[in-house]
Amino acid sequence: MIPLEAYVAVSAILFMTGLVGVLVRRNFIVVLMCVEIMLNAANINLVAFSHYLESMAGQMAALFNIAIAAGEAAIGLAIIIVVFRGKIATNVDEINILKW
Amino acid sequence: MMTFDLTLTGSDLLLVLPEIFLTLWLCTVLSVDFSMRKVEHETLAYLSIGGLLATVFILIWFDQAGIIGSLFKNMYVVDHLSIFFKILILLATAMVIFISIDYVKGFRFFKGEYYFMVMMSGLGMMFMASANDLISVFVTLEFSTFGFYVLVAYLRDDIRSSEAGLKFFILGVFAAGLLAYGISLVYGETGTLIFSQMAGNPGSYGLAIGFLLIFAALGFKIGAVPFHSWIPDTYQGAPTPVTAFLSIAPKAAAIAILIRMFYVGLASFKPMWVLLFVCASIISMTYGNVVAIAQKNIKRLLAYSGIAQIGTIMVGLAAGTKQGSDAILFYLLTYLFANIGAFAVVIAVNNFINSDEIEDYNGLNRRSPFLAAAMFLFLLSLAGVPPLAGFIGKLYLFVAAIEEELYTLLIVGLINIVISMYYYLIVVKKMYINEPVDSTPVTVSLPIKTVVYVCVAGTLLLGIYPKAFIDWAVSATLMFSKIAPPATAAHSSLLGG
Repeated sequence: MIPLEAYVAVSAILFMTGLVGVLVRRNFIVVLMCVEIMLNAANINLVAFSHYLESMAGQMAALFNIAIAAGEAAIGLAIIIVVFRGKIATNVDEINILKW
Repeated sequence: MMTFDLTLTGSDLLLVLPEIFLTLWLCTVLSVDFSMRKVEHETLAYLSIGGLLATVFILIWFDQAGIIGSLFKNMYVVDHLSIFFKILILLATAMVIFISIDYVKGFRFFKGEYYFMVMMSGLGMMFMASANDLISVFVTLEFSTFGFYVLVAYLRDDIRSSEAGLKFFILGVFAAGLLAYGISLVYGETGTLIFSQMAGNPGSYGLAIGFLLIFAALGFKIGAVPFHSWIPDTYQGAPTPVTAFLSIAPKAAAIAILIRMFYVGLASFKPMWVLLFVCASIISMTYGNVVAIAQKNIKRLLAYSGIAQIGTIMVGLAAGTKQGSDAILFYLLTYLFANIGAFAVVIAVNNFINSDEIEDYNGLNRRSPFLAAAMFLFLLSLAGVPPLAGFIGKLYLFVAAIEEELYTLLIVGLINIVISMYYYLIVVKKMYINEPVDSTPVTVSLPIKTVVYVCVAGTLLLGIYPKAFIDWAVSATLMFSKIAPPATAAHSSLLGG
């Protein structure tokens, strides 16, 4: 039996990976991937807690998370394509018409 | 044995009648748009406004007849508080569609879809106002924000709009990541996702981290410092009616969630979150007002002023009493009229001279006395000058802070009113005293004129006769009269004086 702490540790490591990635990486696609990692870290937590607490609410929340992550990816890629058409840029630093 | 069952009865469906009605209505608007090519986009706009106002009437009926309750195992609640916020959001949505009509004429494609997206975001925020557990908070928050991602980047040919959309999107999904992880931690610590069942939890580090993450995510939505970095750029680049929408509706909906979460779920940890809100309020007010002084673009000025206004609204959350929540509700009403009115004037000027620079407001009084006078009134209300609505709202908030002996917050708030007066009056000086470069009269179209008149009337009415609206706010928050405990001596001495 794998203890709960193991799951929480894995999810914390994943979350920190995603968090640091969003703050450090400059490519939009990679930033989007890092956000997906953060959401999936939350899913691991939710499912693990749901199993140990014997309540279904966590698994349901994880399903909603997955659906929302898919929607986010769709809208995000659409916006990135619009920006890419207007100006050849996929890096955060090259998007600087408005004062940051 | 783990089981999960959801039942849905006829009386449950009645509770979501406004949302079902609006959903059907906006599907109708979309169908009319793509099936009848001859229909002008103005017709679609008035059709949308009709649907929104009909939904407001259903909600008023709910409020009067006392049709309240909860459904989906307490995940979704319809009470007087949520009805108040829904009416506020629907009024904002209807006014935004009104001020969009002229703006949409300039679009080359997707004119009808614009109204659909605006109503869709409005619908998402209606659900936010009813969210009573963390799953519904997450889903409804993303529902409304998805609409805004598209709306902010709506001008495909304008690189500034796309850029604003991208910045908003990156920070928005980052906030969603924080929110999801925060929810998972809170669930692990308390074993529940429903606010009312969290009350009485002994508390732990995991719970504290989880709630701080959720607070950060909602801070992004309301634009509180230090989570404000997307606000000025997004406001400047987005289509101006969308900026007007962003500046009030999502903030109001997120405030509804904050009130519910902290007043109901975390009532036992009140001293800690009071400290959190006192700090956030002081930083937001001061930062927003000081940075606003240096702005040259009217949309950026209103963006920073919005950050400061959120700081003022958080004074009520810092008080953490029923009176604080009443004051927040009333203040949001005053902010709705003053802010949408100010943006309506900005849109009217932009439609005519195609510029948002404050320099171009020089001598606006000569070019359009009506717009200049209206803008003067809205800016004074935002600053909090009697006898306008903003004055009563600020007074009410600060009285709630005095009752809780938060004197530091009070003094910072008063200093900030003086700072804000300075940059609002700079705009007023440019409009009234400076000479115009080009003195052709500015013509204002009928829809924008209507919204400006409605906002002027609202600002004056809330200032001169606030009693009816205060009574409404007080009755909307009756549920908090028992829950929020009185301030203890320990935390008063910690924060006071």
